[in-house]
Amino acid sequence: MASEKITPPVNFYVLILFGLILLSLQLMSSAMQESSQLSAMYSWLLLFNALGSVVLLILVGANIVSLIQHTKRREAGSRLTTRMVSLFVVLALAPAVIVFYFSMQFLHQGIDSWFNVEIDRALEDALELSQASLDQRTRWHLKQTQQLTGKLEESSDSMVAADIENLRELSGASEMTLFSHQGRIIASSSINPGDILPSLPDEHIWLQLRQNGEYVALTPIHEEELMVRVIVTVKTTETKYLQALYPVPVRIADLADSVEFAFVRYQEMNYLRNSLKLSFSLALSLVLLMSLLAAIWVAFISIRNITAPVKELVKGTKAVALGYYDQDLPVLAQDDLGFLVESFNDMMHRIARARDETRQAGVEVENQRAYLETILANLTAGVISFDAIYKIRTANQAAYRIFHVHVNQFVGQTLIELVQSYAELAEPLKSIQRLLEQADDIWQQRIAFLGPNGRQELLCRGTPLFSQEGLRVGAVVVFDDVTDLIQAQKNAAWGEVARRLAHEIKNPLTPIQLSAERLQHKLADKLELADAVMLQKSTRTIVQQVEAMKEMVDDFSEYAKPSKKQAVVIDLDLLIQEVLALYALKSGVRFIADYGIGSQLIHGDPVSIRQVLHNLIKNALEAIGSNGLIDISLHRVQKNNTDFIEIGLYDDGPGIKEDQIERIFEPYVTTKVKGTGLGLAIVKKIIEEHGGAIWIDTARKVGAGFIIQFPACNAEQL
Amino acid sequence: MRLLKSNKPSYCLLFVALFLLCSSLNTGYGAEFSAEVSQLESVHQGDSYALSAGVIYHLSDKAKRALQNGVPLFWDLHFKIQQHRDLFWNITLLDDVIRYRIQYHALLNMYRVRNETNGEITSFSTLSAALESMSTVTYYPTLKSADINPQNHYICYVKVDFDRDVLPLPLRPIAYVDPQWYLSSDWTLWPLKK
Repeated sequence: MASEKITPPVNFYVLILFGLILLSLQLMSSAMQESSQLSAMYSWLLLFNALGSVVLLILVGANIVSLIQHTKRREAGSRLTTRMVSLFVVLALAPAVIVFYFSMQFLHQGIDSWFNVEIDRALEDALELSQASLDQRTRWHLKQTQQLTGKLEESSDSMVAADIENLRELSGASEMTLFSHQGRIIASSSINPGDILPSLPDEHIWLQLRQNGEYVALTPIHEEELMVRVIVTVKTTETKYLQALYPVPVRIADLADSVEFAFVRYQEMNYLRNSLKLSFSLALSLVLLMSLLAAIWVAFISIRNITAPVKELVKGTKAVALGYYDQDLPVLAQDDLGFLVESFNDMMHRIARARDETRQAGVEVENQRAYLETILANLTAGVISFDAIYKIRTANQAAYRIFHVHVNQFVGQTLIELVQSYAELAEPLKSIQRLLEQADDIWQQRIAFLGPNGRQELLCRGTPLFSQEGLRVGAVVVFDDVTDLIQAQKNAAWGEVARRLAHEIKNPLTPIQLSAERLQHKLADKLELADAVMLQKSTRTIVQQVEAMKEMVDDFSEYAKPSKKQAVVIDLDLLIQEVLALYALKSGVRFIADYGIGSQLIHGDPVSIRQVLHNLIKNALEAIGSNGLIDISLHRVQKNNTDFIEIGLYDDGPGIKEDQIERIFEPYVTTKVKGTGLGLAIVKKIIEEHGGAIWIDTARKVGAGFIIQFPACNAEQL
Repeated sequence: MRLLKSNKPSYCLLFVALFLLCSSLNTGYGAEFSAEVSQLESVHQGDSYALSAGVIYHLSDKAKRALQNGVPLFWDLHFKIQQHRDLFWNITLLDDVIRYRIQYHALLNMYRVRNETNGEITSFSTLSAALESMSTVTYYPTLKSADINPQNHYICYVKVDFDRDVLPLPLRPIAYVDPQWYLSSDWTLWPLKK
């Protein structure tokens, strides 16, 4: 790896947000302190944290929903993320809940421990003591003021102001005021000369005063000052009221205030006990909730980052399983998973390279195979391969041409099974099967059989195939139809015989004939009649036999010489009509001709073709005698993608013996008493020289039937 | 006297937020314990205008108990006069607040009412007397006659707002969601008598 830099699993902004959450919680915790300046912001901080919790809850909820959907869809890495998140939540939640539970316990017990009955009682007693002290002081001032009223009862109106002043100074009151029964100020004196208006009692005081005749109470004057307000009735002719305000000593007032403050504070705290518990519990719960939610959210982000390479790996593996090797996964981090991803990428590159090489090799092998198949398909020799149990594996096109059976459709079957469908091929197929099973080495054998096109001769060569371990894994049989080749060899041999006969026999025949005629001419007159008759008879015999031999040699010459002398386009149906016209007057013979549809054109020598027709019709006429039927049909057939004009010539004569069928087209093979046996040999020779074929229709059971095929004349030859 | 009650939403965002959070707890919405402006009158005296208002405070049991246990309670009495405009926002000519504080003194067994605006302190032996002292505002001076155009239309607003933000901290979360702590009134509108 080029770089070893380790990146944190969460990004910078998440850390900032997490810090803000912690700061907010800290501020709220600080605001919980009554003395803190943040206490005024407590509500906003509480709201902010509550909203933060809601936002985090939504984020976590969205992540959970997304994770559930991914898990349901079986997306890559979702199950790993679920496991990791579940583990994290359990690990984080369990201790947090335990700490929360005990914190709540400690919190509640701690708050409860602040309060007890003794302190409550002590504070109440202290307050009561303060009240009693002040009450005693007020009663004393009441009594003091009541005593002062005696002096005022005797005071005249003109002296009342001075008396009030004196009494105030005497009693130590801070202010003394005399009111009339209606509440009008009669006289007033204050320790502070600047106070023009005395402190006036309110309506409640007046009401109480009129009911009870006196009033005494502690009155807060300013924020922290206490005064004892005493109002008593002055019994004169007209009822008057004397109000005296006595200051409470500062020390006593402070002590009382301190006791009251402590009592009120304790009372307030006691009252707020449950609210305090609730408030602290709420804050603690909020802290726990936010912390957990933030942790879970960050855990989601972190785990997503951690599992991202795993997801990519799973995706990559799936793609590889589907055959897509061109994977280049992003390396998200330079850690162990990053190294794993890099290794995966490297492995994929190697596999892709190997795949390309294999594919290339496969293409080459396929090309080679196609090339071999092309060669095999275009071989004139049939090739059939077999497996170890002699079932057909492959067969080329030539096998079809030779057997006229789509052998490659019988892959997986034995030749014996093929025989069941094609009985006419039973002989060669059984022979080949037998040789395959018996031979342990290369074998070669010529197999002759009577196929649909007449007698066929195959030259078969079999080669057993062995594995490297020496086990027999199959065999291959190569066979070729050598019928034409052998026939050509025979024809060549007979042609050579004919030429030699013509040369070696025909040449001496003329001198023999001339010598015989000369003997006849010279000796006829010189011999006795009987001798002359015998001479003449012998000479005639010699001449006749010489003529016969000449005729025979001529036939041989005819057989030996090439027939396709002048090739032109021949309309076979016209030619057949012309030939049949010569035999139309033959009594007792009925001709049936079917010329097919359209012109049947071939390319050849019309004289030779006419000779073929003459020979065959003559043979048929000789076979059927004076009465019979000769059926000639003419139509176009297609064979191996080549058009042929097929002539079928049938008679209802005695037919051809089976033992002669195979050799009927060879020279000197005849069923007639007279004849050289060269007729059908010449016919076959002419037909083959025109690229055609002739065979006996063995399927016909009545009379004899010949089938002749000539290559049809194509457009280029017209 | 005809009083117009406005149903404007509270301006307290905090309350709104917590109201949304705790709507299930806040179904009563404090109607039972909210203060009520019972009287509002504008008076033209000489070259100035004055407002007189009467307020009825309904203290819930929780509020009374808190007060008895030494928790001070604060109300703000808002006065506002706006010039009404048809096409634009109203123009605010006056926006005054009188802040009252009421606290129980255990030593003297009295309720002390302090007008935080002018510092005046009054003590009362009963809660009703203390609340009564806060309930009446008489001839509160508002605007000069010169500030009023007789051609325009002016509206007086009065509202009593209980300040929950100065309650002790532990009480505040409860006060935001408990209808017993909704002790404020709605705005009461009254046309300025010219």
